[in-house]
Amino acid sequence: MKNRKNWKLHLAILAFAIPTLLPFYFVINNSFRSNTEMYHSFFGFPKTLKYIAVYSIKTLKGEKGTVTVHDEQEQISKTVSYKGAVKFYFNSATRNYKSAWKVLRPYFVNTLLVVIATAFGVLMFGSITAYILSRFRFPGNKVIFYYFISTMMFPAVLTLVPSFLLVKKLGLLNSRLALIIPAIAGGQVFAIFVFKSFFDGLPQDLFDSAKIDGAGHFSLYWNLILPLSKPVLSVVLIMNVLGMWNSFLWPYIVNTDKKFHVIASGLFVLAQTEAAANFGLLYAAYITSSIPLLILFIYTTKTFIEGMTSGAFKA
Amino acid sequence: MADKKNKPFISYKLSAALVCYSIVIIPVALLGLFTYLPVFWAFQKSFFEFEIGGVSRFVGLSHYVEYFTTDPTTYISLANMAFFTFFAVAVRLSLPLIVAKLIHSIHSERWRHFYRILFLVPIVVPGVAVMLIWGGMIYSSQGFINEFLRLIGLGDLACGWLTNPGTALIAVAMVGFPFIGGFEVLIYYAGLSGIPESVNEAALLEGCVGIRKFFLIDIPMVLSQLKLILILTVIAGVQGFEGLIILTGGGPGYRTSVPGLMMYFNAFSFQRFGYACAVGVFLFALIFTLTIINFKYFKSAEEVQATN
Repeated sequence: MKNRKNWKLHLAILAFAIPTLLPFYFVINNSFRSNTEMYHSFFGFPKTLKYIAVYSIKTLKGEKGTVTVHDEQEQISKTVSYKGAVKFYFNSATRNYKSAWKVLRPYFVNTLLVVIATAFGVLMFGSITAYILSRFRFPGNKVIFYYFISTMMFPAVLTLVPSFLLVKKLGLLNSRLALIIPAIAGGQVFAIFVFKSFFDGLPQDLFDSAKIDGAGHFSLYWNLILPLSKPVLSVVLIMNVLGMWNSFLWPYIVNTDKKFHVIASGLFVLAQTEAAANFGLLYAAYITSSIPLLILFIYTTKTFIEGMTSGAFKA
Repeated sequence: MADKKNKPFISYKLSAALVCYSIVIIPVALLGLFTYLPVFWAFQKSFFEFEIGGVSRFVGLSHYVEYFTTDPTTYISLANMAFFTFFAVAVRLSLPLIVAKLIHSIHSERWRHFYRILFLVPIVVPGVAVMLIWGGMIYSSQGFINEFLRLIGLGDLACGWLTNPGTALIAVAMVGFPFIGGFEVLIYYAGLSGIPESVNEAALLEGCVGIRKFFLIDIPMVLSQLKLILILTVIAGVQGFEGLIILTGGGPGYRTSVPGLMMYFNAFSFQRFGYACAVGVFLFALIFTLTIINFKYFKSAEEVQATN
């Protein structure tokens, strides 16, 4: 009886899950196909993958023989062995990915540089400032804390235009710094908030005993605080990586030079211009741009989810 | 540094305070330059008419007056924004909750975990790519919907969903169908898991099960989660317009424009930065008001965060 009810539950959940995931299935499916093939039938399975499977099985079975292979896009036709056919169709199937990667590679480099620099800045400023505000008492301590966290009430829509004017005035348009510095300035706020509540919860005895052992402030911070706050550090890190990886509007506005596009702005520009007629390439680009976060998600699922949820609260 | 009991081990000595200030000054200055100055400029420049590099002219409140009286896009944009926001609220408060409830009702912990992850996976796709997928693959003339209509013999109904004035608005709202965000599912699931076992048992004893329990017990018990998603969705609805740049650019005509998008066009297409600042200030005021109205809900936001 219980199993039967469960079976219905599974079915109901799948009724939601399938339409949720269907677009992504077709993106993956059609990323292996040429435009011609897609126009013929949107819903079809990629021919190239089918042939790869067929001829791989034949090769594995040890069958010998030759076959004529076609490539619509390059209009090649030639006769090769089964093994050669697998190789040939593999090349056709991955062509979209190769072209996508060629376009995206500089964007990946930019994104990585920006993400790493921002994350480093946010973690450094965030943790040091939070440490000072949490563990030192000096006049203005509270005021500085509120100075930081009150900025959370200003939505991005208020500061978008004046921030652009500022970055332009500073001569930072079309540079990676235009992405990094404002992101550190804004990102440190939530980091300070998270770090401070974590540091506030650490027992005073811990610091006292380290102090008695003769630890200076820097060594206290470096050898005690940072290792202790690894869980918080990784959550803030993931939150920032997610935010920067997805951030589209700001990079799109401040960096119009192709040299400085990041993934998000680069994808949009790509979709608008060069590859507008080549959907397979675009789909391959979408998949390629999702892989880094997919890997991050698989390896750090729990932290990833925490980073994602705290990130949403920041917004 | 003389340590006294019950006192932090760092004294109030001036030198220590100076060290603190000298370190904190960098993040403080960064924030001042890149957040507080833009905030100040947003208000100040909304009173000026200027172009980059040109002379600026004080115009007082006339940008605000223009926005509410002569700008033909204002009210259609506000109406669209209200429509998108109400729609998003309606679907994000209901469907993910149903899915969370379905997942939560499964007996096997392994399957529950699997489904939660399954709905989360699409999060790895960059938001821009999702919008481009909807615009380019699902709604376009050779896209999923039209090809599907042709497949089942309803090819006559095929159209450019985002370019057709009659369908654009609803097509934009339907982006993300069936609206089961992994984040919302996660939040609701946490809420459902937080219902004390005693409550569930009492409900069972009273014969309150199934749909009845869902409405009478579960929904009231996850109210704080619902409020959280409500405020997040409303804020995103008021200030979000990135997706519209990608999908429609506000068109056809102004069918899908929203105030944020008009702010963007005024600044970056028409070079009317002062006017754009005024629109930004108005949106800030709107969000601020909505946030104040929901102020007590922010407490529940922190509670939810603590349970995650």
